[in-house]
Amino acid sequence: MNSLVALIRREIQELWNSPWQLALVSYIPILSILCLWWLFSAGLPRQLPVAVVDSDHSQLSRMLTRKLQANPVVAPQNFVDLSSAVTAMKQSQVYGIVVLPYGLQRDLITGHSPVIDVRYNSQFLLVGKLLSSQIQLTLGSGLLEVAGVKQLLQGVPKSQVASHLSPVTSQTTALFNRNNNYVSFLVPPVLVALWQLLAMLTFSNSLSRELTPEGCFAAESGIWPRVWAKIAVFTPILLMHGGFILALLYQYLALPVAGSLSLLILAQLAMLLAVWLLVLLVFFIMRDSARMVSFGTALFAPAFAFMGITFPVHEMPMLAQWWRLIMPSSHYVDSHISIVSYGVGWETIALQLTSYWGFLCIIPVLFWLSRRIEKAADAESNRQVIDADLASKNSVADL
Amino acid sequence: MSNKIMSFWQLVSAELKAIVADKAIAVTLFGGVLFYSVLYPLPYLHQVPTEQQLVVVDLDRSSLSRRLIRHADASAKISVIGQVTSISQAQSWIESGRAHGLLVIPEGFRRDLLLGKGVTLSYGGDASYFLIYSAVAEGLVTVGMDAGKQVQLLGMLAKGVAPKQADLSLNSVKINSVPAFNPSLGYTPYVVPGLFLLILHQTLLIGTGILGAGQWRRKGYWREVSPLQLVCGRISAFMLIYLFFSSFYVGFCFYWYQVSVQASLTLVALWMLPFLLATSAAGIALSSLFVRRDLPTQVLLLVSMPIMFVSGFVWPLALIPEPLIWLSQVIPAVPAIMGMLELNQMGASWTSVMPKWLQLWALFAIFFVLAWYGVTRRLKPAVDETS
Repeated sequence: MNSLVALIRREIQELWNSPWQLALVSYIPILSILCLWWLFSAGLPRQLPVAVVDSDHSQLSRMLTRKLQANPVVAPQNFVDLSSAVTAMKQSQVYGIVVLPYGLQRDLITGHSPVIDVRYNSQFLLVGKLLSSQIQLTLGSGLLEVAGVKQLLQGVPKSQVASHLSPVTSQTTALFNRNNNYVSFLVPPVLVALWQLLAMLTFSNSLSRELTPEGCFAAESGIWPRVWAKIAVFTPILLMHGGFILALLYQYLALPVAGSLSLLILAQLAMLLAVWLLVLLVFFIMRDSARMVSFGTALFAPAFAFMGITFPVHEMPMLAQWWRLIMPSSHYVDSHISIVSYGVGWETIALQLTSYWGFLCIIPVLFWLSRRIEKAADAESNRQVIDADLASKNSVADL
Repeated sequence: MSNKIMSFWQLVSAELKAIVADKAIAVTLFGGVLFYSVLYPLPYLHQVPTEQQLVVVDLDRSSLSRRLIRHADASAKISVIGQVTSISQAQSWIESGRAHGLLVIPEGFRRDLLLGKGVTLSYGGDASYFLIYSAVAEGLVTVGMDAGKQVQLLGMLAKGVAPKQADLSLNSVKINSVPAFNPSLGYTPYVVPGLFLLILHQTLLIGTGILGAGQWRRKGYWREVSPLQLVCGRISAFMLIYLFFSSFYVGFCFYWYQVSVQASLTLVALWMLPFLLATSAAGIALSSLFVRRDLPTQVLLLVSMPIMFVSGFVWPLALIPEPLIWLSQVIPAVPAIMGMLELNQMGASWTSVMPKWLQLWALFAIFFVLAWYGVTRRLKPAVDETS
């Protein structure tokens, strides 16, 4: 027990003496978390520029432009001709084009059906899809008013006009994220991905300190006491960062959360332990600081894409769904959504945590690898002693 | 004179050898570039979410409500997986992940419609996942509109309106909404062009970073040439390697992942040139800040997500705070990605992307001077030691 306390003290000492490690656990996470939040802080896309080419110049076309103006998502910009609007769209100055054709009002009155052309920039998929539905909604409701006037002219009683125009109305509800806020949709998984990177980096840096010549493979107590000490030091530190993320999102920004935050912290703890296991595995296999980091990077850098937040998991190819399970963050995100959106209790979370079972298989492999390495290290150190003897003899001889 | 040219090529080949011989660099450059070209787009290969599971709460149980359900099921975006009797049951289906959306058909749906009263259908989609939500909402709105139109048509026909005229008055104005540049609304054409330039950028920075960081404190061919020569030689060596990588990414991968390509080969090459030059110069300048070989990867790993989001291909530039955009302009990937999208994916003319191109050249000039200065600083003390 005493030795463990001593090891923990040594671990904290090393953390204090390494500027980069200290940065990794202090200002780098805070800066990057705040930076990423700031990036998405707009939350709701609004005032997106859309080119309106009004060739009709009628009362109707101006009314439709005003309707677009009234939509918070759309910021209509008037263009005189189509070609300049197209150029602006190609330079991504506008995200969509609405063409109100010549003779729009006349065709509508005389019973021809005119066509309003809408083009939206789907290269920027997120903006494009949003604009497409908003522009169609706005134009549709604008045209409905015109149709209502027509109904009244035909002698339909005013009380029935609405149900004549659209007998089936719809009420669409975005469940669990009422106003489609991108902060509560994107920022938590982005920050979790970042947090996972930080955990991987700090832990593998700390482990690779043991690779120096005075490192611990040859120490008589073996590597495990030091690994326990590292886990004991870095788990609370990283949990503090995780707690900071939760406090920022769900306390300071007051994003809606249905379940309890303590369950989220439990889920974070499970994720951290899984990250530690993976990093230990990489450490025992690679035993080189630069290669460890490279490998960890290759593994964890695409974590965000595999979480299944932006692109749903059940639409991924099988291979991607398997690869996804290697990353602890994907397991965590499932629990995160369950708690934050659905407000599930601890029984469901306990059930979800069992999805980490695959990581338990790493433990015996770790023991086996560490045993092998320790043996090799013992042999190596013996040889080194002999080498040192030889070297000293040689140097004596040189003298 | 000939001796000088020879020595330059010798330097470049020494650089290439050092890059290939260093396992960490070789793994990052060759392994990373190949591995990521497969791994990153892997989740998105199916492009568009279809057949989202929908649970129906049918409180009407009429012929019309059943037809509505069949129509919903026929939509490509939705698949009806079952019916439940109450909304709370539907809720538990959604929470357990069995369904992602619900449709509530109110009691008296058919009767009210036939009586000429309006009815309201309620849709809900799980907005914890936006793509799922938008697929469910789009599918159901279309189905609802269709059902409404059919009822209207029946009503009009019953009143003795001619079918053709009835059809015309139902669709008095056609809104022809078409996606431009990414006609299939696919996910890989959306993510791949920007992401792949970012991968090239990050691996190039890491490669130059590790190479430099490993060399400053040791002796080798890099001390036998002047700093200016070393910078030029190193840029040339990395340019040579990245010539192949960019051809693979921008040429083959764009084709493989069905990215829409609009610019000519010459224009794309002309665009990539200052991007790669500026990035390798920036990498060498950065490398002079490091002496530990495992640091460049860590630093660049941490900044890669912010760079991805600030470059404006995922989250629109119009919504990113101005100060962040100004700061990000010094990163070669930021103007390069946006310019590439405009030039190659949206078909903008060369003159309109010219400012960004010049910006890349300016970045190259600045980073080149910084690299020269940094390398001079790094190589100086050791010279004193040896003398």
